Amino acid sequence: MLRYLITRVGLVVPSFFGLTLLTFAMIRLIPGDPVEVLAGERGMSPERHAEMMARLGLDQPVLTQYATYLGNLLSGDFGISIVTRTSVLEEFLTLFPATIELSVAAITIAVAIGLPAGILAAVRRRSVLDHGVMAVSLTGYSMPIFWWGLILILVFSVELGLTPVSGRISAFFWVEPVTGFLLIDSLLSDEAGAFGSALHHLVLPSIVLSTLPLAVIARMTRSAMLEVLGEDYIRTARAKGLGAGRVIGLHALRNALIPVVTVIGLQMGVLLAGAILTETIFAWPGIGKWLVESIHRRDYPALQGGILLVASTVIMINLMVDLLYGLLNPRIRHQR
Amino acid sequence: MTTGTAAAPLLEIADLAVGFTTRAGHLRAVDGVSLTVADGEIVGIVGESGSGKSVASLAVMGLIDTAGTVTATRLRFAGQDLLTLGARARRRLAGAEIAMIFQEPMTSLNPCFTVGFQLKESLRVHQRLRGRALTAAAVALLDQVGIPDPAARLEAFPHQMSGGMCQRVMIAIALAGNPRLLIADEPTTALDVTIQKQILDLLVALQRARGMALILITHDMGVVAETCDRVVVMYAGQVVEQRPARALFARPRHPYTAALLDALPERALGRRRLPTIPGVVPGIGDRPDGCLFHPRCARAQDVCRTDRPALAPDGAGWVRCPLPLGDPA
Repeated sequence: MLRYLITRVGLVVPSFFGLTLLTFAMIRLIPGDPVEVLAGERGMSPERHAEMMARLGLDQPVLTQYATYLGNLLSGDFGISIVTRTSVLEEFLTLFPATIELSVAAITIAVAIGLPAGILAAVRRRSVLDHGVMAVSLTGYSMPIFWWGLILILVFSVELGLTPVSGRISAFFWVEPVTGFLLIDSLLSDEAGAFGSALHHLVLPSIVLSTLPLAVIARMTRSAMLEVLGEDYIRTARAKGLGAGRVIGLHALRNALIPVVTVIGLQMGVLLAGAILTETIFAWPGIGKWLVESIHRRDYPALQGGILLVASTVIMINLMVDLLYGLLNPRIRHQR
Repeated sequence: MTTGTAAAPLLEIADLAVGFTTRAGHLRAVDGVSLTVADGEIVGIVGESGSGKSVASLAVMGLIDTAGTVTATRLRFAGQDLLTLGARARRRLAGAEIAMIFQEPMTSLNPCFTVGFQLKESLRVHQRLRGRALTAAAVALLDQVGIPDPAARLEAFPHQMSGGMCQRVMIAIALAGNPRLLIADEPTTALDVTIQKQILDLLVALQRARGMALILITHDMGVVAETCDRVVVMYAGQVVEQRPARALFARPRHPYTAALLDALPERALGRRRLPTIPGVVPGIGDRPDGCLFHPRCARAQDVCRTDRPALAPDGAGWVRCPLPLGDPA
């Protein structure tokens, strides 16, 4: 396990380094520069443009810019947003809880439904239930998220009036940000009904965001369970006279969970980084929405820092998944 | 030793058939298996791969999944009718009164749980043991099956042990319910030759010490000769001959039995070539008309090609052949 751990952690360093290079380079490949965007439609004289670029350090050779950027990163400085003039890290930390809240809610829904659905489909293989679960999950898997989100808003918010259209909480409440997680902050505040409102606002976006991971988890659980159910040790478990619940829920599921947990973890990473569409549709003030706006403004520091921070979170989640995989699998745990 | 025809046999099987419905139609993996096993008896079931030995024993255990259908005119264990027994009661029987061990010990244990967990699980279910008594019973069982340092081994995972040790653990798990019948399905096939002998000796010693009946499924006639009281020979899903081991080895009546015995290296001393049986066991979907063995039988006559022979009493045993070899014994 120790060698496994060292290998996994060791891989994080080059990933992180490659990431800085990638975000730095790709942003500069987008046509236009921040000063142009700041100037807007009125335009700007070439002299003024050059002066502004120099002030932002963008007149330096690219390699020098990269070296400065890396140096600042190593001292924990993610830069200052060109547009808002605030620390990128601070802005990120303010917005990230909203994204985490949404993603955690979505993955909870996905696991709570996807896992049992996958197990049932595997146990009742080739039954109507199996075909039903697989058909629904294939539909979910191929669903364009923006369209799906809009349809749900149309049906549940506009037609039925069951859920709010957008935002994290009703405008009538003011909740003091303590943790940044509205569900927690609203409970901490004295505002009656704030928690209910926050929860109410969370339902639809998290359902939309959970669609894809739900489909992936259900399919993965099914195939993992099918494989495990054919194993010799399942026959042994049945030969021991154990009930179906114990054979499936313990002996089979414990083994099937090894790949499934990996998938759940990877999906969590995808959600954190990929809530962009959902956040945009529901005007959810999270990282995704912020990143899209930063792209439009060519806000290099915000983009560089933001993408790096999101990607680092994903890398850390993947690392945790790898370690969890090792813990779940005795054959890896006992490797030297 | 008893011969299985004693007053109340422990296990009685008559005309057991196991069929699977597939796209190619209804296929019978086992058809016409009849045998009895008495208390404390060792019965060997021999036959080539695909002869239905394992499927028949899984049917007795109630482990044929929903894709298969099990029928029999008689399937009784210790006076209970297994055909009419409810699922729950049947399950209580499996693992307790009837236990089974399998061919691949390494994959038959769950890789995610310790040996102790898997052994204690059976002890908890069948003997209702808890706490310190549970651990003590688990250690005692591991000790009985010859595992050194049993207390420490409880914490081991299957991948940390050899195949022979895993099979010993499987045997310990099987013994957890104090079974009256242990079915060992090719228990030594996947093991090294030196370990095979140890496991067989262990099984026979345990059978004697506990007075339980043992069904030993194997394709190794040598193993049968060494250990079994009575032998059932299976071919293509059918029992073709059954009689006391000594009589079977001395005077086989079915041509297939005779051919199997001729193919034993120790019986072929002095010959230039080891005799073999031409052809292969017919697949589950292409069984021939008449006697199932006739395409490979040197003695086949017209009657063998047209009439399906029935299992008929023959001396101290039974044979399924219209033209058996020699005289009944």
